[in-house]
Amino acid sequence: MKKFLYIITIFTILILIGCESKFPLDKDLTRKKYTFFNQDSIEVIFPDIIKGKVTVIGFIYTNCPDICPMTTHNMYLTQQQLKKNAIDDVLFVTLTFDPDRDFPSVLKKFGKIRDIDFNNWVFLWGDKKSTESLLRRFDITALKTDSTYFDDGELTYSIMHTDRISLIDNESRLKKNYRGSKVNLEELYNDIINLGEE
Amino acid sequence: MFNLLAVVLMIFNPVDDIVIKDQWIRPGAEKMATALYFTLENNGSEADTLYAIETDIAKMVQIHETYSNGDVLGMREIGKIIIEPKSSVKLEPGGMHIMVMRLKKDINKGDEIEFKLHFRKAGEISVTAKAKTSSDNE
Repeated sequence: MKKFLYIITIFTILILIGCESKFPLDKDLTRKKYTFFNQDSIEVIFPDIIKGKVTVIGFIYTNCPDICPMTTHNMYLTQQQLKKNAIDDVLFVTLTFDPDRDFPSVLKKFGKIRDIDFNNWVFLWGDKKSTESLLRRFDITALKTDSTYFDDGELTYSIMHTDRISLIDNESRLKKNYRGSKVNLEELYNDIINLGEE
Repeated sequence: MFNLLAVVLMIFNPVDDIVIKDQWIRPGAEKMATALYFTLENNGSEADTLYAIETDIAKMVQIHETYSNGDVLGMREIGKIIIEPKSSVKLEPGGMHIMVMRLKKDINKGDEIEFKLHFRKAGEISVTAKAKTSSDNE
């Protein structure tokens, strides 16, 4: 009898391991709607814009000289790899956590200077309330820090922030988070493909 | 005779103590900030200190480092970089970098930007950094 229970337990564990998803998260992002503006200053609603699409979302501010360009570059390389393999139904989204400076035109220039293909990449600017609320949904920290005055009296500041790219499935469910600046591009690419096939 | 000439050449044409190499800058839009990276080599027998950088393309330039607290990252001014003798210091993405703030014009891929680096002992050294979107191993 003991032997029988032991075998059953082992089988149950093996079945559970086999059923475990490749994706550690399963957070519904459809419960609240947020109004944002894209890089062309056109009003868009999140999550309506990601409905039915596997989405890669990154979080940045454009005055960030080091980490955010790395995050954006990693997304750019992923976009290029998908395009090379004729996969064009994946959406890329970049949300700024610096609404005081990163207006839509600023975001557009940030993208253009990096050769970003806007056909399937949306930059989002929103008011402070919408931005902070959506950042909370993704558990993103963004705090103003290390401020400096230019000699004309204008204040500039850095933002201490979570280094993050997230993957969302085509049912608007957050499935996985990655370190934005150091993401393993092969892992991200494979996850996108696997999510598209699920 | 040749030996004497070699000694004279060594005295009057010494290897630079401070060498700056692999410099590059990220593209950036006017009024925004970007980062300059390079490797500093000190071939001399004494430590030296990089304490200031100048460029015509930006309103302010500072020596910064990126620091992390878990997956939350921040940036802070460190003011100077000390290079010990016979050693090198690499400024690279995610680590130390030169923060180039309030650009006076766009920096596009392929642009070449002049910088003057000031060292306590070696004095002023000029470098030209080419703009590219990532380092070769990024």
